[in-house]
Amino acid sequence: MNNEAKLTKYVKAAGCAAKLGPGDLTEAIGGLSCTHENVLVGMDTSDDASVYYLDEERALVQTVDIITPVVDDPYVYGQIAAANSLSDVFAMGGEVATAMNIVGFDGCHQPRSVLKAILEGGQSKVVECGGIIIGGHTIEAPEMTYGMSVTGFVHPQKIYRNNTPRIGDVLILTKPLGMGILTTAIKADMLETQVIEKVASILATLNHKASRIMRQYDVSACTDVTGFGLFGHGYEMSFNRVTIAFELKNIPILEEARAMADMGIIPAGAYTNKSYLSSKVQAKVPHKDEIILYDAQTSGGLLIAVSQNDAPKLLHHLQSEGLTYSAIIAEILPLGEKPLFYM
Amino acid sequence: MKIDCSGLACPEPVLQTKKALETLPNDSVLEVIVNSLASKENVTRFAQNGGFDVRVQDLAEGKSLITIVKGFTCNVVADAKDEKFLDKTLFLKSDKVGEGELGAKLIVGFLKSTLELPKLPRRIVCVNQAVLLTTADESAPIMEVLKALEAKGVEIYSCGVCLEFFGVSDKLKVGKIGNAFGTIEMLFGGDGTISL
Repeated sequence: MNNEAKLTKYVKAAGCAAKLGPGDLTEAIGGLSCTHENVLVGMDTSDDASVYYLDEERALVQTVDIITPVVDDPYVYGQIAAANSLSDVFAMGGEVATAMNIVGFDGCHQPRSVLKAILEGGQSKVVECGGIIIGGHTIEAPEMTYGMSVTGFVHPQKIYRNNTPRIGDVLILTKPLGMGILTTAIKADMLETQVIEKVASILATLNHKASRIMRQYDVSACTDVTGFGLFGHGYEMSFNRVTIAFELKNIPILEEARAMADMGIIPAGAYTNKSYLSSKVQAKVPHKDEIILYDAQTSGGLLIAVSQNDAPKLLHHLQSEGLTYSAIIAEILPLGEKPLFYM
Repeated sequence: MKIDCSGLACPEPVLQTKKALETLPNDSVLEVIVNSLASKENVTRFAQNGGFDVRVQDLAEGKSLITIVKGFTCNVVADAKDEKFLDKTLFLKSDKVGEGELGAKLIVGFLKSTLELPKLPRRIVCVNQAVLLTTADESAPIMEVLKALEAKGVEIYSCGVCLEFFGVSDKLKVGKIGNAFGTIEMLFGGDGTISL
């Protein structure tokens, strides 16, 4: 990897760890609403993308996401930011059509060649899922940010929402946790190149393939795990109507993330998520890995609610297509004491 | 040595603590000031996992003082700690002293009297039925006593396996969950163990 640009050194927090906390965000946008007969998914749920009805065959999916650098290599950062931006369309069950670049460029610390490499990295990922980049906008910014506004299509009858899991379903997660911790460790120069490459390749993996595979099975809800961490997005999925029971030993967590967490390399975002969510979580026995369940993920995996019957088939299909971290991590139960439970 | 990590974002406070600990000679004390929950938890986690003795004290204006003792021998750690403790572990195997109703009263009485001692036992380890003490109802008389002991700095551990055996893992109200290895270390590591 080309780490000369030292992209992560000039930002306060890496990737989605830089996001505003869920409490702050709800307070700020809670009063806004949009109701229109053509809006199938709007601001009233916590879905990250919106869906607008066009005709019986098509609905328009729109989403936008930007992140600060999580790795020092500009091309790879571009790839990861793109994978992160595109993911919301895939979580909805849609296909990407077009994307526009949104860049806040730190021209003070970086030469133009860095900008070129970032955009090339982003483009490579849009092309990979069959989309095209049709433009963009760049401004000078004190901290580097990059992402995309993405437009896609989905069949209006086949939209996957994040808060409609059925009791009895199980949850499959397609990428390992610990990315906020590991990107913070990258920023701190604490990881070996080999580990950084492993982390980068997970971050740059599109959720496109996982999305296409899941659509072939009996799936009731889907979301992608990003800034609010597994428990934040799990809570949104529960919608306070069911209890999600997580089995900690089945949750894929990168060993390197555990080691870094033990050293106290945990981004503040994880604690923000935890303090917002801790009243919603019941633990059978407290566990030291718990904080990782709140870790803000950049370009995290899909969290898929699937019928128990189809779960083994879907899991096998995901793994045989190279999504080897995929695992069944939870079960949807009738609402108990708290919406989230782990053992 | 004292370092002020107020206002620094993660991972900077941990890195500065790490650097400071590396430069300090053995048998010295490092004080770290932080002013965010993340930094407080992270620095504490880092130092504890490094095997150092750590104390956290909340100060005014959201600041915390984390005191880390660099030194690996029991002596150094003991010396650096408050003098209000005896280096003894109280080992409880039952929720009673002896049998029956009298036994249940005696354990409350015994622990309540312990509170009055000039020097308290360093820790209390609860195994078997003793975990029913740490998981009792809030209104139970024993709860007030245990909480007072904990507030005075006595470390209270309840055996995880035992909690699970009695189905009360989610009812722990005082102290922490211990494990077999930790228990053995406490029993053999200190100057003495008292068993009731």
